[in-house]
This record gives sequence, structure tokens and C-alpha cells, in this order.
Amino acid sequence: MMKSDGAGDFPVIKACQEGDRDAFRVLFESYRDRTYTIAYHFCSDDTMASDITQQVFLKLFDSIRQFRFNSEFTTWLYRLVANVCMDEHRKRRRFLQWPTSSTGGGTDVSVVPESSAPASIEDHIGAREMNSQVRRAVASLSPKLRLVILLRYFEDFSYDEMASVLGCSSGTVASRLNRGHQQLAKQLSHLRQEFGRAISL
Amino acid sequence: MATGHVKDKLIEHCRGGLPAEQSRAIAEHLIACPDCRVSYDETRLTVSALSSLKPVEAPQDLWRRVEARLPSEQRSDQSSSRRFQMVLAAAAVLAAVIGLVWYLNAHKSPDQRLAQNREELTTPAPLPTTVTPEITPTPAARSGSRLPSLEVHSLDGAPLLAQSRLEGRGRLQVGEWLETDSSARAQINIADIGKVEVEPNSRIGLINTRESEHRLKLVRGRIQAQVTAPPRIFVIETPAATAVDLGCAYVLDVDESGSGLLRVTSGYVLLEDKGRESFVPAGAACETRPEGPGVPYFEKSSEGFKKALRAYSSGDRSALKSLLTSAERHDTLSLWHLLPRVNGEDRAQVYDRMAELYGPPGDCTREGLLKLDRRMLEEYRKRLAWVW
Repeated sequence: MMKSDGAGDFPVIKACQEGDRDAFRVLFESYRDRTYTIAYHFCSDDTMASDITQQVFLKLFDSIRQFRFNSEFTTWLYRLVANVCMDEHRKRRRFLQWPTSSTGGGTDVSVVPESSAPASIEDHIGAREMNSQVRRAVASLSPKLRLVILLRYFEDFSYDEMASVLGCSSGTVASRLNRGHQQLAKQLSHLRQEFGRAISL
Repeated sequence: MATGHVKDKLIEHCRGGLPAEQSRAIAEHLIACPDCRVSYDETRLTVSALSSLKPVEAPQDLWRRVEARLPSEQRSDQSSSRRFQMVLAAAAVLAAVIGLVWYLNAHKSPDQRLAQNREELTTPAPLPTTVTPEITPTPAARSGSRLPSLEVHSLDGAPLLAQSRLEGRGRLQVGEWLETDSSARAQINIADIGKVEVEPNSRIGLINTRESEHRLKLVRGRIQAQVTAPPRIFVIETPAATAVDLGCAYVLDVDESGSGLLRVTSGYVLLEDKGRESFVPAGAACETRPEGPGVPYFEKSSEGFKKALRAYSSGDRSALKSLLTSAERHDTLSLWHLLPRVNGEDRAQVYDRMAELYGPPGDCTREGLLKLDRRMLEEYRKRLAWVW
């Protein structure tokens, strides 16, 4: 996925800092789907993803004056996203069971259509089922591993950027990424045939 | 060939993120190293699986939910004072500013222009009647934008696109405004689903444009919209209501106070705001007011009915009798919308007259409808739609 040019948002952010709601709406529209995507794949539940996305933008509204323009806005924003995701996870773990594959969480929501759509209904059903299995596998990872995976695959953040977002070292990021892949490989080994053709030596 | 094991580079190798030379060395190593090859097979699987995950579109009403929880806006004397000082300063250096604006406009990024155009949505600025910017943006200045946009072209006069004179065609980007003075008209092409003609003395901004939703905001003036798209793809916000296109053509006027009038010429439009909804079919009109969408009525309705509806909507309860006696079958459009907005005896009278003109479906009861049972109301609306 294409990363945004964080510096390009600076004029909009400045307007937000001056209390311009219209500018904040523009910022919201620019990042709503990206934030929601991370939240949705983090919790695998559309209602929780909506809650998380709302919280992120409310916190952003409250704290945007603290942004100092000496770092990437996206890094700053995703620190909020990561914190809200982790807070929500902790909060819900205390009271509720976090939805995973076994709890049936993960309502099928509409996804942004892609040009390379499957050719037939059978393919479509197969693709949906595979996608559902991958989502469930991601949801079963520990929250820390999950976040690293999502930031890497949806935001294409570098290890250094992820380290900045998550407040850890690049080495820790690399380690979490590797562990995440290893755990997913075990869970998804039955899909080897379906996915195996995708990348060749 | 890579000399050591390559397990720690396999993720990036499989994602195609390594320089070609490094990737080649890893591939050669994998041929010779069974241990790394096992890891490679696993990584290839997970990278491929994770790459198949798709972005997810956020719910359409998310902004409404966020906005509802934002702290209320405050206008301080300080900000008014600062704005006044800025106006004075701007007047003093007007000539220099015009030159500077031209220079910046020709060189800055689209996002910078977007920010420049950020103005109060709630209090629209007056049209620039005294100074018409002599600014003609160069094509290069508006190229290479990463912001979503819609095509716009001038129909008459000199519309202002993002505060710059629009010559021929241009792109209205998210966050920007299109303005027309008393002699200007413009057309916005809504992707491939329709068009909006912007009449003189109008101000309209683009909030969002994407395949699943095109959303504009009309703060004053008149637009004529023609849209052939599935319902809810095209939305116009006004200060007093939101017009959701259900596949139609309509004219929408908004005055300086933010109130307005919607007139639908084909299809259906849904007006919604502050928890109220008004379905407006072809041939009908509906006022948009600060307290929410009004009660829709057919333009062909008798003057007596329209007058009584206006009076009753303004709080004159004595107008109810005249309203009900002058109602014809198609006026059940207004009566159905009145039902949940009135109480007690008035509601019962409205229902009885409506049922007399065109009765409810068999599974809808008087009691249920007077209690505003949602299912029954919706069933009744569908039945009444045959005579609307």
C-alpha cells in the first residue's frame, strides 16, 4: 500500500492546530480507511474497529497541537493507533473475550475492491474463505506481533519507523516480525498449495 | 552467493524489497542450503498470505459519530480580534500579497493549496465582490496531485476554483471550494455517475470523493444534480440537512442563513439531519431548516394545503383542521412524515385522515402506527409510495 507523504499534510495539520474543523475533516477523510483497516485487522471485529477508529480521531483532535513537525505525521498518528489498539485490547481482555477465530468475531465487511478480482464465483468463494482464514490467523497472534505485521503489510513502514511507532528498537521489531511470520506459517501450513504458487524462486 | 545463512532476510526477499544483487545472492544460497530453504518455503507462504489481506473501508457514518463527540466549537473574542488584525494587515500589503500568492500558487504542492483554502465551513465567507484575483494557475501548479478530485468546468463567467479563476477545465480537490458570482456558472462531473451544475452566487466544497461515496457541501446558492448511481453514492451536505441521493435529479437551494429548499425532478432524495429523515420523491419539495429537514410536500398540492402545512409546521396548531380537510391522496406524503413529528390527539387525527385517503397494509394496525412501530411505518410508507 502506498504511504502518504507525511510532510504534505503539514498545512492541513497547522490549520487543525488553529481549531479549523474543516481541516480536521480533511485529515479524517485522508486517514479514516487506513486507521480502520489496522483496527479491523487488529481486532477482527467491525464494531470494535469503529470504536478504535473513533477513539483515535478524538485523541488526535485533543492532541494535535502537540505535534511539532519534526517527525513524520504518519508515525505520530500510528503511535496513537497502536496505543488505542493496545489499550482497547487490555480493557476488553479484562471484561470480555477478545474475538478470535473461535469466538466467531470478524464480521465480513466490504473490502475495497481490487482490479485483480477472482474470475469465477467458485474462485471468489475460495478467495473469501482463504482471506477469512488468514485474518483469523493474524487475529490469533499476540497483540504486539499483530501490530508489527499490520504496520509492515498495510503501511509499508520501515523497521525504524515501526520502532518509532511502537517505542522499541529496530531489533525488537525485526524479532517480532520474524516470530509473527513463524507462527503464521504453522497456522497456515494447510494453505501452502493455494499460496505456494504466488512467489517463485 | 551469500556466505552465511539468510533466514533473517527472507521476509524482505519474499516481499521483493531487497536490491536485485542481494536477492540474487539469496536465491543462489537457497539452492545450496536445505535449512534456509525450509524457512524460505514458510516465509513465502506467510508473505503471500499476508499480502492477500485487503484494506477495509470504514463505515460511512463514522465522521458523524466522531463529530458528535468533538467538543463544541468556541469563537473567542481573541480569535475575532486576530482575524480583524489580519484583515487590516492584508489590506495594507494587498499589492505585495497578490504577487506573492501568484508565486506561491505556481510553486507549492496541492496540499499547501488545500490548507490555504481552508475556511470556516459553518460561517461561509462572502463572495469576493470587490477584488477579483487576477490569478491564473499554471497547469503545472495543479498537476501531480495525490488528493482525490472531481473534474469541473466553467459554463459561464469566471468561477473561482480554490480561489483561483477557473479557465475552461480544472480539478476540484478534496477540501477545496468552487465559488460562482452573479454571472458565473460551473459544472462538476461526479466521476462517471452524474453531474452537478452550480448556479450563480453559490459556494460548494468537496468533502470526499471515492468509488463508494462522493460527498460535497453546499453552503449557499443553488445546484442542480443529475445522478444515475446506486442509492447513497452521492451526498450533498448543507448547513441544515444532508441530501442523500437515492438515484435521481434535483435542485437544491441554500440561502445565506443555511436554510434551503430541495426540489426533486426524478427519483428519490433522502434528507437527513438531527435524527430526522424526509423522503422526497419526484415532484415533491422539502425545506431544510436549522432544526432539521422539514415535511416534504408535492408541488402539485393545492395552495390551501401548502399554506396550512406551512402554518402548522410553524407551530400554528389551529391549521391542522384545514391541513387535513384539504389533503388529497398524494398528500399522504406529508401526512406520513407528520405522523412521528406530532403528538397525542394531533397524531391520531393525522393518522385517521391518512388511512381514509389510503389505508395501511393488512399487517399494520392503528395502535402500532400511533405508537410509531418502525416496521409498520416502513411498510405503510412502501404502500403509500404507490400514490406518491
